[in-house]
Amino acid sequence: MPLQLSLQQQSFLPSEEKTQIERAQQDPRYFAPLYERYHDAIFRYVYRRVDDEEQAYDITSCVFVKALQSLHKFEYRGLPFGAWLFRIAKSELYQSFRDQKAQRTVSLDKVVLKQVIEEWTEDYTEEDKARLLLALKSLKDQQLQLVEMRFFEKRSFKEIGDICGLSENNAKVKTFRAVLKLKEFFHQKE
Amino acid sequence: MLKILLNRKEPSIEQVRKHQNFNKILAAVQYQQKVNNPWRYWYYPSLTICLLLLV
Repeated sequence: MPLQLSLQQQSFLPSEEKTQIERAQQDPRYFAPLYERYHDAIFRYVYRRVDDEEQAYDITSCVFVKALQSLHKFEYRGLPFGAWLFRIAKSELYQSFRDQKAQRTVSLDKVVLKQVIEEWTEDYTEEDKARLLLALKSLKDQQLQLVEMRFFEKRSFKEIGDICGLSENNAKVKTFRAVLKLKEFFHQKE
Repeated sequence: MLKILLNRKEPSIEQVRKHQNFNKILAAVQYQQKVNNPWRYWYYPSLTICLLLLV
């Protein structure tokens, strides 16, 4: 199934969005077009990180409730509105993990997994697959998030930076280090 | 403990839309605003007192 997570895929004018945000700040009923634009992307972001579908729906609802409650605080200072929503989603997700309401999950596509392995080894075997999964489990959570967003969700470094609160360069460096770590774990168990 | 799920089926956009809509979110926010409003408990008693004073 094609991913519909990227903020760059959304076709709209930032000025139009800015007007919609300003109207929604005055009256929450005008939040509807923003909700329609981002709901699916936020849901899929959450769904891929929890094991239970109902839990994903609940967390997504909480994200939009929180967004509406704190919309008056949002100011357009270079951070895209979508990234602001993803930050709320990230914080809601980690709150559910802390409260043990949801389990941290990584949803992977076998094709993507195969592509990653083929970049590192000459041929893909089931054993390699098991090793990569084990290596993923050995990563720290922040490293896992970066690898997840970059390789499994194909996000740009700019977007990763916006969501994680890092600069584009910092996101690039940290992702590079996370991949090095992953490679190290992968080859260690050979 | 991290759980890894391979080739997990994702619900379609239509299924997601059917499951959640903006009106439910808006209703939840409005209800919370109502509940969190400190005037909620004082509105009717103070209105009654004002009316009584006027009469």
